[in-house]
Amino acid sequence: MTRRPTRTRSIAARLSVMNLLVSGIALLLAYVSFVAYDLVNTRQAAVDSLTAEAQIIGANSVTAILYDDQAVAQSTLSALSGTSDVTGAAIYTTSGHAFAQYLREGAAPLQPPPNSAPVAATSWRSGLDVLIASPIVFQGKHLGIVYIQAHFTNLRLQARRFALITAAILLLCLLIGLLVGNVFRRLLSQPIISLARTSRLISRYKDYSLRFEPSASYSELESLTDAFNEMLAEIQQRDAALEQGRTELEHRVEDRTAQLVAANRELESFSYTVAHDLRGPLEIITNICYLLQNPDANDPPEVNEGMLIRLTSSVSNMSSIIDDLLNLSRATSAGLHRKQLDLSNLACTLLEDLTAAHPERDVKTSVQLGCHANADKGLIQIVLQNLLRNAWKFTSRTQSAQIEFGCIRQEAEQVFFVRDNGAGFDQHMASRLFKPFERLHAESDFSGTGIGLATVQRVIDRHGGRIWAHGEVAKGATFYFTLGNPTS
Amino acid sequence: MLTLCTLALLCNAIPAQAAPLSSSDVEAAYLYNFGKFIEWPASPDPANAPFSICVVGKDDFAATLDSLVHNDTINGRAIVARQLASIEDANGCQILFLGTSEQPRLARDLDAIKERSILTVSTIPGFVDRGGMIQFLIRDSRVRFSVNLASATRAHLALSSELLKVAVSVNSKPSREGQ
Repeated sequence: MTRRPTRTRSIAARLSVMNLLVSGIALLLAYVSFVAYDLVNTRQAAVDSLTAEAQIIGANSVTAILYDDQAVAQSTLSALSGTSDVTGAAIYTTSGHAFAQYLREGAAPLQPPPNSAPVAATSWRSGLDVLIASPIVFQGKHLGIVYIQAHFTNLRLQARRFALITAAILLLCLLIGLLVGNVFRRLLSQPIISLARTSRLISRYKDYSLRFEPSASYSELESLTDAFNEMLAEIQQRDAALEQGRTELEHRVEDRTAQLVAANRELESFSYTVAHDLRGPLEIITNICYLLQNPDANDPPEVNEGMLIRLTSSVSNMSSIIDDLLNLSRATSAGLHRKQLDLSNLACTLLEDLTAAHPERDVKTSVQLGCHANADKGLIQIVLQNLLRNAWKFTSRTQSAQIEFGCIRQEAEQVFFVRDNGAGFDQHMASRLFKPFERLHAESDFSGTGIGLATVQRVIDRHGGRIWAHGEVAKGATFYFTLGNPTS
Repeated sequence: MLTLCTLALLCNAIPAQAAPLSSSDVEAAYLYNFGKFIEWPASPDPANAPFSICVVGKDDFAATLDSLVHNDTINGRAIVARQLASIEDANGCQILFLGTSEQPRLARDLDAIKERSILTVSTIPGFVDRGGMIQFLIRDSRVRFSVNLASATRAHLALSSELLKVAVSVNSKPSREGQ
């Protein structure tokens, strides 16, 4: 109730004005009709009373007229002096002459209407002056007429007194009406004011947890507050949902950003490593080429031959790095065409190739038959090739080397594994295994590009599977992987 | 209608006093009106018997009276004016006017009808003092009358208070009867 626009008014004020107006008009109408009714009534009563007096005077004047006794008629008329309103009276005979006359002191002389018929009549000269005519009839014969002239001074006084009393009563009624109306107005407007106050609080502080006080007095207001409260609850709910969505979005953005940053860093280190690793064999090639261009005549021919062998070895090293990079790229970007594969068969072929390529090695290989998977053949070939080659490589210094491929069922999931009893690795370093160009062993011990397992990891990721490894230094390592289940 | 006219003429003429009617005319009208303010005891006469205003003795308003009562009634009874030869003919009269000529035999006349309910009226001076009921007299040059109520009451006649109101004097003492 602090600030209010100038052109609007409160409901409470309007109700007050309405109350005042309605009661005022009603009471004014009542007042006017009361006073008018009373005035007319009182006047009529006075006239009736005077008419009766005129009739009595007429009856009492019969013998006076018949026996020509003006004195008697005069004394009869004088009886009217007891009636304060009467200012004059007269008896006229049928010939039209005044037979007897009475005039109050100071009153205007009585003037009967000319040629008036001998009938009862009441004629008003003004609102308060009246002339009453009453014929004198005796045994069916007109003897004359009685006139009474009256001025109702008392009527005016009486009317004024009545008007004052009535006005006082009606004012009292108005006052009581206003008081009662005020009580009702407050009862009615209080809930609306409280409603308005709560709405203002809500709109100012945007606090949708506020609730309207339920009004028990009026069903309309009750349904109104109920509706408002429902709306508030709805708004609150939506706000909460929006807030939740926003938070989720923020988290996702943060996640993605972190992923992007990581990917970017990985890419940077990758390019750096690629450049670094390619430069190794390239430097060797450059140096050998220089030596070959500037031959030392003292050098025996075996030196040249050895240099050529090293040249070839460096070139093939570079070539294998480039192959691995291509594989990695392929594993990352090539399309995924799943089909039913016999992994055992693939492993057998690969191990046979390895055995054939290294006839000097005596490796005991075993492949569990019947390991099937739904996967991309080319990519799976890269996976198996890398894992089996690694096993082959890291068992190169092991007596009675063993390499095993198989599959186990683990919680409704097909898990494949490649196991060897080679150099193994420190389990604490297991997390670094699948990062590109990370080597757990010295280049001098086991050659390798460091890209193989990273490529394997990419392929497994693309199949929706997982890869992990168990190892122990000098005791061997086991690589497990799953390929996801496209059907489930 | 004739009665009304005459009466109107009367009422008209009196205040003006320009050409006064003869006092006998006024007296005739008064006499005629008495019947309207006096109650007679129930009469053994048949209901349709006329209401008789009788005149005994010599007087000069008999003709006026005759024209006044013409076709008029009192209490449903036709009014007739009768000129009596003597008091003995007063049988059936309600009002009896005794002319001035009756002055010498007044006592005898009144005595003859004293047991009857007859209103006696006369202009004879001292009439009410001598047992008459209503006596016309002139006051301020107007015809007035005085009443001996005791005589009327004795004859069982009831005079209305309205009539007594306009009487000059009302004597309710017993008259000097038999003088």
